[in-house]
Amino acid sequence: MQGEVRVTDVVPEAGSEPPPLYEARNVSKRYGNVRALIGVTFHVGCREVVGLLGDNGAGKSTLIRMMSGIVKPDSGEILADGKPVRVESRADSERLGIETIYQDIALVDPMSITRNIFMGREITNRFGFMRHKRMAELAVDVLQSAVHIAGIDHPDAEVGFLSGGQKQAVAIARAVYFKRRILLLDEPTSALSVRETERLLAYVAGLKQENVSSVLVTHNLYHAFMVCDRFVVMSHGQVVFEAAKEETTIEDLTDHVIRT
Amino acid sequence: MDTLKFAGKVTAGRSTPSSGWDGVIQRLRAAVRKRPAGGIAVLFVLLQLTCIAGGLIFPEQFRYLNPANIRVTVMSVAPLGIMSLGVGMLMIAGEFDLSVGALYSFCAVFAATIANNHFGGIENPLSPFIGAGLGIGIGIAAGLVNGAVTIGFGIPSFITTLGTMLLWNGGVLLYNGASAVDFLPKAPFAPMFGGQFWLMDSGFLWFLGLAVVCSFVLHHHKLGNHFYAVGGNQQAAIAIGINPAKVKLIAFAITGGLAAFSGIVAMTRVSSVQPGGGVGMELRSIAACVIGGVALMGGRGSIVGVVLGTALVFTINDVLLLLRAPGFYFDMFVGALIVVAVILNHSIRRRSWT
Repeated sequence: MQGEVRVTDVVPEAGSEPPPLYEARNVSKRYGNVRALIGVTFHVGCREVVGLLGDNGAGKSTLIRMMSGIVKPDSGEILADGKPVRVESRADSERLGIETIYQDIALVDPMSITRNIFMGREITNRFGFMRHKRMAELAVDVLQSAVHIAGIDHPDAEVGFLSGGQKQAVAIARAVYFKRRILLLDEPTSALSVRETERLLAYVAGLKQENVSSVLVTHNLYHAFMVCDRFVVMSHGQVVFEAAKEETTIEDLTDHVIRT
Repeated sequence: MDTLKFAGKVTAGRSTPSSGWDGVIQRLRAAVRKRPAGGIAVLFVLLQLTCIAGGLIFPEQFRYLNPANIRVTVMSVAPLGIMSLGVGMLMIAGEFDLSVGALYSFCAVFAATIANNHFGGIENPLSPFIGAGLGIGIGIAAGLVNGAVTIGFGIPSFITTLGTMLLWNGGVLLYNGASAVDFLPKAPFAPMFGGQFWLMDSGFLWFLGLAVVCSFVLHHHKLGNHFYAVGGNQQAAIAIGINPAKVKLIAFAITGGLAAFSGIVAMTRVSSVQPGGGVGMELRSIAACVIGGVALMGGRGSIVGVVLGTALVFTINDVLLLLRAPGFYFDMFVGALIVVAVILNHSIRRRSWT
């Protein structure tokens, strides 16, 4: 957690507009013959929710995975707080304060809820032995605060036996617990009920007060319009449209997603 | 062991307090369901109770409780048990090691020849320690090679270690020839690794001690948590920032080291080592792990399960010997037990959280 100290040390200069928390300049990525990202420029500012929209295969998930450090860009620049950085592993993005809720959930089925939440970031004593009780208490806390979903009250239940929505809640709880600066949500509502979805969206909007920005990837333009401050529409690996909420309408956005 | 306590505490807090037999049965049932080794523990206790009853009723025909019988059975557990601890942890991390049986022989033969011929020979009390240390070092190195090849080239560990199994099986013949090697160390090596204590021998105590250590690492250390994560869903582990290559390399190294140690313990007990002695042990140790509830595809299992699985295999072996059944019955019984144990564990787990 050395990163935490460094991150909070960054104080924006008084009077000037602070640089974006995260900025990708002209990044490209190809998988064999498929060009997943073509010269994409994208940024996440302070205290904002960015809606990342587009049809299937537009490159949204690749961009999210790149921000999380799982995918390395072939070319282009990445800046954090205006300074060039390399985000080439999960450890790098963690240092930048980025947490992700993945589309494919990324949970380990045979492990308990608590162990999934703290996987890779176990609370341990100085010899590396885990503090089970502390982790279980925190797991209960975080499960009840972010998206309370009925049926998960014992944190030692195996994740493999949960329903799709419950699994998603665990994935959300994990990201929410460790979030520090940017929360990436890749289709987070696909398995949630209407009420759970509303709770999650309200939570994301509320995170701005805690100085946490979010990027919401979704197919549902109504959801996006509810919480996002800015919209970025992608198509075939490129950014094709970008607008602040005030400058656009839901019809306009729909048009851009469908037409391109 | 300690995980059991943890799971028990949480359940105890939630279930309604009840007293008397009902409460005991209720708690037992909950315990069996929520523990990975629950099914096998029940099977083990039932078998022990049956055998003890049989031994009490027919003390002359069925000498199960005879101290000599207990001593021999307990003594035979250690080599396979120590090996299985490593094999089980590696399986939980999602990989196999078929070369442990060959390593068991190779490392023991290597340790014996070093101790016999170098550092002042076997008369020097220190030379067996040096030999054993080098043997275990070779085991760890061989495990690292298994892991590096498997991960570096992205091939199944089943294939890698099938290859290294044949390599070490041939290697031991190249190094030493087919003749047995004597190993007659002086104190303190001999009593430390081949001594007798009441009904137990030092090998068995090493097995129990190592099981406790492994249990702490696997169930309470973050390294063990990473074994489960990598074996359970490697993509998720990567996404959350765990390096599977590092975790698996450690697991391979532990497995190789424990295989070498088990060979040395077995050799010390019988004072000699046969170059082909470990052939087939790799499959028997996988069998013991599977019987103890370790999932073949990784991500699931426990040290208690591995210990009980090994103990169950040897109890059956003992019973068959006492009943004077021909040797081939043993393999048939273990074969059936593997299938029954997996079915049992599977059905208990499916019922536990619904």
